[in-house]
Amino acid sequence: MHHEITLTINGDLYTVAVQSHHTLLKVLREQLGITSPKVGCENGECGACTVIMNGVAVNSCQVLAVEADGATIETVEGLSKDGNLHPLQTAFIEHNAVQCGFCTPGMLMSAKALLDHNPHPTADEIRHALVGNLCRCTGYTRIVEAIQDVARQGDPT
Amino acid sequence: MQPFEYYKPKDFDEAFKLLTLPGKMMYPLAGATDLIPHTRDGAWKPDGVVDIKGLPGLRDLKVEGLEPCCGCAPGECLYVGAAVRMNEIAHSALVRSHWDVLAQAAAAMGNEQVRNRATLGGNLGTASPAADSAPALLVLEASVLVKGPEGDRSIPVEKFFAGPKRNVLKKGELIVGILIPKPPVGSVGVYEKLSRRKAGDLAIVGVAVMAYPHASGHRWRVALGAVAPTPIRSPQAEVILNAGHDAAHIDEAAAAAYGCCCPIDDVRASAAYRQMMVVNITRRAIRAVVQQLHP
Ligand SMILES: Cc1cc2nc3c(=O)[nH]c(=O)nc-3n(C[C@H](O)[C@H](O)[C@H](O)COP(=O)(O)OP(=O)(O)OC[C@H]3O[C@@H](n4cnc5c(N)ncnc54)[C@H](O)[C@@H]3O)c2cc1C
Ligand code: FES
Ligand code: FES
Repeated sequence: MHHEITLTINGDLYTVAVQSHHTLLKVLREQLGITSPKVGCENGECGACTVIMNGVAVNSCQVLAVEADGATIETVEGLSKDGNLHPLQTAFIEHNAVQCGFCTPGMLMSAKALLDHNPHPTADEIRHALVGNLCRCTGYTRIVEAIQDVARQGDPT
Repeated sequence: MQPFEYYKPKDFDEAFKLLTLPGKMMYPLAGATDLIPHTRDGAWKPDGVVDIKGLPGLRDLKVEGLEPCCGCAPGECLYVGAAVRMNEIAHSALVRSHWDVLAQAAAAMGNEQVRNRATLGGNLGTASPAADSAPALLVLEASVLVKGPEGDRSIPVEKFFAGPKRNVLKKGELIVGILIPKPPVGSVGVYEKLSRRKAGDLAIVGVAVMAYPHASGHRWRVALGAVAPTPIRSPQAEVILNAGHDAAHIDEAAAAAYGCCCPIDDVRASAAYRQMMVVNITRRAIRAVVQQLHP
C-alpha cells in the first residue's frame, strides 16, 4: 500500500507517495533524487546514509519513509548557502579529510548534528559522535582535525 | 526487504486489533533498529508493522507514584515510556539523578545514530541476551508495564526474559513503559561493557553492579549480560559482597559470577573467552563501585 507523506527536506516541502516497507534512504535517492546519503551496509553499522532528522543524526536506512511524515530532514544538498560551502565542507577539503568520498556525506551530517548541539567539542567528543560513521580510507585523524578546526572558528551555522 | 504494511494506531484498542489480526505476523514498531535489519535478513517476516510511537504515555519520561507500584513512596518511581529513545535516557538529568546506571547502559549502546532511534521498549522487545539495558534494569529491580487485549500486567524484569531473543509477552501485548523504584539512599551503580570495539558494537560481556549502605555494611546487586540464554542476576556474587568488599571478597565474587554463566560461541567471541572476561569485567565494575563508595 502507498502512503502519502509530507516532509521538509533542506527547507523545501515535499509530498510523495511511498510504499510501507521502503526506507527513507531509498525514497530520498530513488524517488526524490537526493543522492548524498549513500547506500552502504543498510544495517545501521556504517553511517554512510546519515541524515539529520528533526535535529538529530539518524541512519536513513533504518527509518521507514512513512515514519518521516511531518519530519524535517537535512542532507548535504542543503549545507551550502548561496553557492558558498558550509564551513565543515571547506574544512574537509582543506584538511584532505576526503579520499574516495563515500563516507563523507554521512561524516558531514554527523559532524553538523554534533556542532549544532555542542559547538566546541573535544577530540574525544568528536570521535564519540562519529563511532557510527565508518571510513575505510582516511584513518579518521584528518576528519577529526577538520571538525576541530570548524569548532575553533566559532558558531558553524 | 520483503513488503509489509504499515499502521500507526492512535489508541490501544486499535493497536490490539491490528496486532491480533488473524493469520498475520504483526510486529510492534518502535525505533526499527532491530526490526529493519532482522526483516532485511529474512529472520523476521512481518506482514505488517504497528508503529506504537503515537500511543498515549509511550514517550513519557517522568517521576511517578504509579499503581501498581513497587511499594516505594508516591513520586519515587521513575517511569520510562517504552518508546523513549536511548539518547534521551543517556542525557536525561532526571535519569542520571538516581538511576544513573541506566543512563550509563543507554550511553554504552550502539552508536549515536542508533541511540537517536533505538528505544528502551524495543531493547526489551528483541530480548537479546546482550541487551545493554537489561543488566542495569535487573540491578535497579525494574518492572515492565504491559498492556494487552486481555488487560494490564506488571512483570519484574527478572521474569521478563524467556530465552535468547524470547520474552514472556503474549500475542498482542505491548510494553507501555518501565517502572523503576528509586534506589536506596547512598546507592552507587556502574555498568561495564566489553565489546570488540570501544563503542558501537554489542556486548561480549556486560556487567551492572549496584551497592548501597545497609546496617553496618553494604548490600550489593550484580547482573550479567551476554553470558547466558537471558540476562541474569548473580545471587552468589551478591552474597559474597554483602559480607565484605575487600580485595579477597571482590575476587571471590568475580569467580562466583563466572560460575553463573553458560555463554555461547558466536561471531563476537568464544564461550571460553566470554567466561574468562566475566571475571575481569565483574571485578572492574565492583572496583568502580567501591571507589565511589569510598572516594
Ligand atoms: C548498529 C547497531 C548497533 C547496535 N548496538 C547495540 C548495543 O550495543 N546494545 C544493544 O543492546 N543493542 C544494540 N543494537 C540493537 C538495537 O538497536 C536495540 O535492541 C534497540 O534497543 C531496539 O529498539 P528499537 O526501538 O529500535 O526496536 P524495534 O526494532 O522497533 O523493535 C525491536 C523488537 O521489539 C518489538 N517491540 C518494540 N517496541 C515494543 C513494545 N513497546 N512492546 C512490545 N514489543 C515491542 C518489535 O516488534 C521488535 O520485535 C544495535 C543495533 C544496530 C543496528
Ligand atoms: S547504509 Fe545506513 S548505516 Fe550503513
Ligand atoms: S574517504 Fe573513503 S570511506 Fe571515507
